[in-house]
Amino acid sequence: MILTPKIFARLAAIVLLGVILQLSFFSQVALFHVSPDFLPSLVVALGLLGGTMTGAVSGFSVGFLLNCLLVQPLGGGSLVLLSAGYLAGLFRERVDVRSPLAAPLLCAILTVLAELGFGAVELTLATDTTVSGLILRDVLMQGVFAFFGGWVIYLGLRRALRPALVDEHPVRASRPPTVLGA
Amino acid sequence: MYRKQVRRRRAVLALLIVGSFALLTITYGSGSNGVQRGVSAIFSPVQSVADGALKPARDLVNWFDQTFDARGRNERLQEELREAREEAIGASAALAENAQFRKLLKLDRSGAIPSGYEPVTGRVIARSPTVWFADVTIDVGSGDGVEVNDPVVNGDGLVGKVSAVTGGSAQVALIADHSSAVTARVVPVAVQGAIRPNVGDPGDLILDFIDSTKRVHRGQYVVTAGWRSDEIESWFPPNIPIGEITDASIFDQEARQQVHVRPFADLRDLDIVQVLTGGSRG
Repeated sequence: MILTPKIFARLAAIVLLGVILQLSFFSQVALFHVSPDFLPSLVVALGLLGGTMTGAVSGFSVGFLLNCLLVQPLGGGSLVLLSAGYLAGLFRERVDVRSPLAAPLLCAILTVLAELGFGAVELTLATDTTVSGLILRDVLMQGVFAFFGGWVIYLGLRRALRPALVDEHPVRASRPPTVLGA
Repeated sequence: MYRKQVRRRRAVLALLIVGSFALLTITYGSGSNGVQRGVSAIFSPVQSVADGALKPARDLVNWFDQTFDARGRNERLQEELREAREEAIGASAALAENAQFRKLLKLDRSGAIPSGYEPVTGRVIARSPTVWFADVTIDVGSGDGVEVNDPVVNGDGLVGKVSAVTGGSAQVALIADHSSAVTARVVPVAVQGAIRPNVGDPGDLILDFIDSTKRVHRGQYVVTAGWRSDEIESWFPPNIPIGEITDASIFDQEARQQVHVRPFADLRDLDIVQVLTGGSRG
């Protein structure tokens, strides 16, 4: 990703808008008793488009902002989301998969891992507590939401960040070859 | 050139990871800090506006969810109605106890708030997106008199307590949050214990540490105990309704009861809440 001040401002706006929208809308609606969490998908999409550094930095920023706005202990969200963003970026840099399903599948897988990561951070720091089996259903549902939501987020971000993407070539209108002497 | 780039990337990654651990170590369990207060002060108005603007869209999505849910709930309600009819036959004897029971539980809203407390009404403006946290952010803060550890209720019963506060907002750790523990009492048998969460299922709480010689039963109510000793006291005032016992299985080998409680407050769908500020604890 080619980072210009304009693209940097766009990335900051995307992160901010994503966190506000998540907290004010998605976290407060329930689909099949689960509130979708699209922040890991946002970070994964940024990692897939921009690579490891973009993924990691945007993951850290999203987690930091999230923890700040929820008045939660700082660092936990950043740690989990920067890992998700970094892994997505690593996938882009190391694996050459061109399938259109790659992005949504990666969003789903990394969202599930991120949710488990949030749990691991919390349960490591928490005192002895009981965990309901229902949480596994919720985590898997988050993966399903991320599959569909991640697709839309990835396509939207690719459009929004197109000028900065290295492997996005502008489509030129094809012109029939000129035949000399015709 | 490439090696230099790789080294720089690794350095940034290491910095971010170390930064995350450092933030976690510094801020865990310390409530709100200056950075959070600053960010919250800037973005709370934005959140409030976004919350209000997106409410119709949220209601629409939730309407679809509730409609699907209602189809399944209908069968369960039919079963509950049958059970209620059977129980109604023996209800005449219970009527005499009912007045005392209601008085004890203080089910009506005005009675649920103990004297000496100043309720501050707030609206939920944000909710934690992950499935592990059970906390919400409300639009009242220290500027409205809210302090850390103030109890939070809604029209149905206990919701949680304030875990961090900024000038214009506060974080409420719900009773379903992994960090929550509330001393509680079963009425009318006066068995005391601690309400703890069953993490991941906000519709199910666990009543723990109860006296194994006393038995509790399905349908009994659980209220806050609000105990007080010479030096320490509960954060929660007594007799705030918490929930209803849904299951009290006896494990003979362990000589203890596993008591499940369904909270009165719908912790998945909170909107208006009241913070009980001031007052004396216990």
